[in-house]
Amino acid sequence: MESNKKYWKGLEELQKTPEFVENNKGEFSESLPIEEVLNDAGLKTVTPRRDFLKALGFGVGAVTLAACQKAPVHKSIPYLIKPEEVTPGVANYYASSFNGVGVLVKTREGRPIKIEGNPACLLGEGRLDAVGQASILDLYDVSKLKGPKLKGENVGWQEVDSFVRGELNKIQAGGKKIRIVSSTINSPSGKAVIADFIAQYPNTRHIQYDAVSYSGIIQANQSSFGRAVIPHYHFERADVIVSFGADFLGSWISPLEFNRQYIRKRNIASLKNKKMSRHIQIESGMTTTGTNADVRIAVKPSEEALVLLNLYSALGGAAQTQKLSNPKAEKALTLVAKELTAARGRALVVSGSNDVNVQIVVNAINSLIGSYGTTIDINNPSYQYAGNDADFMTLLGEMQRGEVDGVFFVNANPAYTFGNQKEFSEALSKVRLKVSFSDRPDETAALCDVLAPVPNYLETWNDANPVAGYYTIVQPTINPVYNTRQAEQSLLIWSDNPVKNYYQYVKNNWERTILPSVGMSWKELLQKGVATTGGASIIANTGSTLQEGAGAAGTIAATSAPVASGARVGAVNIGAAAQNILKTSQALAQGAEKGAELSLYESVALRDGRYANNAWLQELPDPVSKVTWDNYVAINPKYAEKLGIVEFDNVIVKAGDKSIELPALYQPGQAQGTVSIALGYGRSKVGKAGDEVGKNAYPFITYTNGTFHRVASVTIEKGNGRYELAQTQTHHSFEGRNVVRETTFNQYANDPYSGTGKHEMEHKTYDLWPEHKQVGHSWVMAIDLNACTGCGACVVACNVENNIPVVGRDEVRRRREMTWLRIDRYYSIQDGKNSVTEENELKHLDNNDFEDVTVVNQPMLCQHCDHAPCETVCPVIATMHSTDGLNHMAYNRCVGTRYCANNCPYKVRRFNWFNYWNDSRFDNYMNNEFTQLVLNPDVTTRFRGVMEKCTMCIQRIQAGRLQAKIEKRPLRDLEIQTACQQTCPGNAIIFGDRNDPNSAVRKALDNERTYYVLQELNTQPGIGYQTLVRNTVEEA
Amino acid sequence: MDQLINYTFVIRKCDLDCIFDFTFNFLAKNINMRSISLVFRRIAKSLLLISSLSLGIQANAQNQPASNTAAPQAASGDVAAESGAAPAGDAAAGGALFKQKCTSCHAMSRVVVGPALKGINQKYDEAWLIKWIKNSQALVAAGDPAAVKVFNEYNKVVMTAFPELSDDDIRNILAYVEAESNKPEGAAAGTGTGAEGETAAGGDGVSDFMLGSLILVVIVALLVILVLNRVIKTLEKVILQKQGLLTEEDLVVEGESAAVRFRRLAKNKKFVFFTILLLVIFFGSWGWVTLWNVGVHQGYQPEQPIKYSHQLHAGTLKIDCQYCHFSAYKSKNAAIPSLNVCMNCHNYVTASEKYNGETSPEIAKIYKALDYDPQTKQYGDNPKPIQWVRVHNLPDLAYFNHSQHVTVAGIRCQECHGPIQTMPEVYQYAPLTMKWCINCHRERSVNHKGNAYYDKVLAVHETIKKGVKVTPAVLGGLECGKCHY
Repeated sequence: MESNKKYWKGLEELQKTPEFVENNKGEFSESLPIEEVLNDAGLKTVTPRRDFLKALGFGVGAVTLAACQKAPVHKSIPYLIKPEEVTPGVANYYASSFNGVGVLVKTREGRPIKIEGNPACLLGEGRLDAVGQASILDLYDVSKLKGPKLKGENVGWQEVDSFVRGELNKIQAGGKKIRIVSSTINSPSGKAVIADFIAQYPNTRHIQYDAVSYSGIIQANQSSFGRAVIPHYHFERADVIVSFGADFLGSWISPLEFNRQYIRKRNIASLKNKKMSRHIQIESGMTTTGTNADVRIAVKPSEEALVLLNLYSALGGAAQTQKLSNPKAEKALTLVAKELTAARGRALVVSGSNDVNVQIVVNAINSLIGSYGTTIDINNPSYQYAGNDADFMTLLGEMQRGEVDGVFFVNANPAYTFGNQKEFSEALSKVRLKVSFSDRPDETAALCDVLAPVPNYLETWNDANPVAGYYTIVQPTINPVYNTRQAEQSLLIWSDNPVKNYYQYVKNNWERTILPSVGMSWKELLQKGVATTGGASIIANTGSTLQEGAGAAGTIAATSAPVASGARVGAVNIGAAAQNILKTSQALAQGAEKGAELSLYESVALRDGRYANNAWLQELPDPVSKVTWDNYVAINPKYAEKLGIVEFDNVIVKAGDKSIELPALYQPGQAQGTVSIALGYGRSKVGKAGDEVGKNAYPFITYTNGTFHRVASVTIEKGNGRYELAQTQTHHSFEGRNVVRETTFNQYANDPYSGTGKHEMEHKTYDLWPEHKQVGHSWVMAIDLNACTGCGACVVACNVENNIPVVGRDEVRRRREMTWLRIDRYYSIQDGKNSVTEENELKHLDNNDFEDVTVVNQPMLCQHCDHAPCETVCPVIATMHSTDGLNHMAYNRCVGTRYCANNCPYKVRRFNWFNYWNDSRFDNYMNNEFTQLVLNPDVTTRFRGVMEKCTMCIQRIQAGRLQAKIEKRPLRDLEIQTACQQTCPGNAIIFGDRNDPNSAVRKALDNERTYYVLQELNTQPGIGYQTLVRNTVEEA
Repeated sequence: MDQLINYTFVIRKCDLDCIFDFTFNFLAKNINMRSISLVFRRIAKSLLLISSLSLGIQANAQNQPASNTAAPQAASGDVAAESGAAPAGDAAAGGALFKQKCTSCHAMSRVVVGPALKGINQKYDEAWLIKWIKNSQALVAAGDPAAVKVFNEYNKVVMTAFPELSDDDIRNILAYVEAESNKPEGAAAGTGTGAEGETAAGGDGVSDFMLGSLILVVIVALLVILVLNRVIKTLEKVILQKQGLLTEEDLVVEGESAAVRFRRLAKNKKFVFFTILLLVIFFGSWGWVTLWNVGVHQGYQPEQPIKYSHQLHAGTLKIDCQYCHFSAYKSKNAAIPSLNVCMNCHNYVTASEKYNGETSPEIAKIYKALDYDPQTKQYGDNPKPIQWVRVHNLPDLAYFNHSQHVTVAGIRCQECHGPIQTMPEVYQYAPLTMKWCINCHRERSVNHKGNAYYDKVLAVHETIKKGVKVTPAVLGGLECGKCHY
């Protein structure tokens, strides 16, 4: 054994709690009370034997009668006049964009059913994150408004128009203020519409308000460089990445893009060149980014900024600092400073804090290590977030003073996201005209008079400018389903714009401004979906063109030389910033002396809460905690023990007069003395799926020094009772078998096979089955653990593609989640140099504080074993091996014995306990005809009592083969992509034909790092994994 | 007894399947009122059928000479042209040209795209018409008042120029138009229906007649045999009585009541055993067959909202399947064509000659669905899709792709859909059972010639299965997941 490191999915598994053992035993069978029924007592039980027989007899009779009915008559209704481009049964793809990321929308017979990344998009390069994948479900959301409302009455648009126009004219005459409150708008046309509106009503101002804002960065850049922007980061150019609590792989600014960039320095190609970036994460709660870090140091939020200050001075900057009390951080600091200096011009420091002062210091550090012009491009900034916290606070004051007579809310929901909701609603009530452009009657809309619902982005025209010089177009793929109208269109009409049609407006705008400079026609643009101006240097992350150090042209002169940059940043007084940081940190630490420090983070799935009604995202297990359908108080187990809190105990978190009660969750890696709570939960008016799921943590956000701070000092008390979270982490247990393999970069450099187990003596294997000869195709998959960040995009993509039902919180608690593809997250404990190898070793580590845990993410799906254990045990031969290496599952043959699931060592088979499509218990999902339109018509929905599992997207394989046959050509490599592969931001999943010697999958599987999970069982899996490589520095 | 046989005959004529059912009812059960009325209804039905049949044969016989004389329509046209006022041209040659060049936009007495042509020779002079037909736009451009008027009247639709037509060609066409205009309105319709009836009756008549007479012969023979048998029996009895050989016992048996006789039979073990055995075999095999056919709807022929005839379109008119069902070649669905496909032809094909100048009621349904006004050629805004009834209902659990079978494998539509070109109303020809699919996948060869996709796959396969016929089954076409996912 090369590694006998002990991996575990949850503490309960590590400590083998009685509960866990009991649950694990009942993974497949609940014992039936057969003995009871058969003995004499059988007649006295709740269901006596005779009753049972009666029911049985009646049941058989009823079923027989029911089966006698005539076959139903099916209607077939063709188009009256068929659109030329539509062929029934053939999908059409349209280019559009989601949050500035170019996407291709797959439509069948006019209805969108799947979203893929647009390969032409520079941010996603054909990939998409979980949120983008799931966004298709929002189109079919039944909780949306079906038409405009005026003071609670359903009205037509004409009434709304005349009312709003009348009011606007009155306001204009009265001379009071009008405000448009929106989340960040980076659409050039949208901004132009607002500008036109302002021209018509000059008292108007546009206020951008982001629930989770990046005001700190924007203001810091204003003060450091005189540019109020978020710079464009280039993680792919960084050899050393130091992140202070920035979850850039999960939710920070542009996670999809950063995932792609980050993996470029860690994937197979990079490792082949013996290159790998080094990633150091300093944070309090465990984030997705933290799970991928080579070194992770847990610090309190109050320490985070101090470490930063110390780092600045260690790098040679002059600022007042305070000595760190945390020895681990102290030790790491010297190392980090050394590495950053060594990697000058190839390093990047980022911080997730929204404190201006912290970001000023980050800027100063980045100047010192020469990041500007290399890893940070401030000349071509990102426009993904532009919210200004101070503006919003000013608005609040204006409303309170009664100076504002008209407010329009565009994609902003301050009644939910603003900390002091009472203050906000009272202020808003003083406004005369309140218009909500929300697509649903949400928290803010409930306070508004006019509800002018907007359509989904799949029903609208729009554009976006996520990064300077890069534009995407949004084009509708379906007519508006409900009686909705775009906000921009409404504003055009209300401001009497000569162009009343927003489509025309967007088109005019592009034809006037962007199209001439990119040399494209409108039609070409619609076909391509994206446009780039200003040269390719803007976003040079297209693989081969990447040159280290050669970043964007024209870097800020002052920052290109360290001395000059120091002077530049120093000019805005680092000293003052340092002083402020010390003060804030001190206040935070002092406030938490009798309690804990709270850090609030954006949930990877729900983000700031706007996707809360998306059942796919609600059921997507959190990448770190694997909790679904709830938020919770993440707490270190040791710290919890100290407070007398047991996991799933309700705890009351209190800060001043604000308090919420949430269940506690043991989170290894969480810093002592801290707790973390996810934002985005606890919505009260979002819809069937998301209402009252979790608790709203926004009230803890405080407004300090001009920005919203997502940290607070709180007290923690034990609350009433327990609440069992629906956590999937220990479901589908491997019974302690080691299924992940890892190595370090140094070991890998010496021996590429390290960690794979290939040097061990081969097991003597015995085949119980004859060999399967795969002479035609042989479909296999390769998964690179080093390229998987655990973001969860594949899980959602699989759900969408394969019509996998959502089961809801209760069913997840019963271990009945249906996802075919899950991402197993394993912890292991590092005790100094040694890793913990066995459960009982842990007992000897008395002072292990569960802070130093390392994490491995492993996507787990049907391995399509050649010698599949499931196939042997099926009594009805419902699961069979195919000649092309797939493990087929014939649903209609399955009788639901579940023997196969029982015999699968990978635990990847799922059983349908209900008819999730047609059962009122699952009302929050697809139990309605409208939402069912999202289903993929090429995949059957499974009936109750049937087993299912990953098919390797056999519908795509068949379609791809057919296309090749029709075109009379051989199949091309990578022509067929599975849903998970197609969306994976890290390109960690490669699918293809093993029998094709030039295929990408063959090359990946021939890689030295390849190993097969549970190889020793000789199941001959069709999926090979590549070891995780950790770029740790062996300490002397 | 005689009557019974008569009934059976009649029913066989009516419906072969019913006979078993009926005789079983008639013999095994008592004849109750319901079955009697049923019997009578069937008799009446079949009597009607026979009478109509014989009438049809008669009509056929009468029609034969009539249609012969009516056939050369052009000839009568000639006469009309000669007697008529205008153009001296060959109407027969003109007719051919007219059908080739003009029918897509013109009819005699109604507006299609262009104006109705009846009386055109009287309205315009020949020279003008020749100019107009050769190049109408030139006339319009030249500012000819008549030309401009017509052009504006018909929504400025440009008439195709026919420079390839010679003056004589045009004269011939005009002669044909004249001849057609002079024909009485109803005449065309009358001959049309007559011809239709003829083919219909003629086709069926012969075989029905043959069948009928054959059955009659058989029945007469049977009757003769039965009567003779009875006569022989009576004669035997008489002879025996005369000879005094008739015993007491026989006489007692003669007088036994039915109940006693039944009881005696019930005690006969052999009889009981065989009866039960027969019943078991009967019900067993009946049940077996029934169960196997649960959900099999072979022969399913639902009534459709429009009496669309594949016999006419695919059979008589020989329209390619792909013209309407184009998606069968590139999609999994063969798809019922959308109405704009119908309108490609039915924009001017209204079959009005069969309905006294009115649009055929079935074609009118298309117009109604589209909310289309054939007079003004305008589409309204209240269209209502046509709800066809699916004939071939493959269960959702099976994935079937037309393009795989039609385009890649090159299978003709008829192989699965049967003689579709002879079906006035479509019925399900194939059983659409999995057995049926599998059999075909086992027996047919893969159509791999010239398809580069198969080259690689087959090359590998053939090394293993030398000399084996390459069926879909060999390439994994029988595996569950290939159709069920």
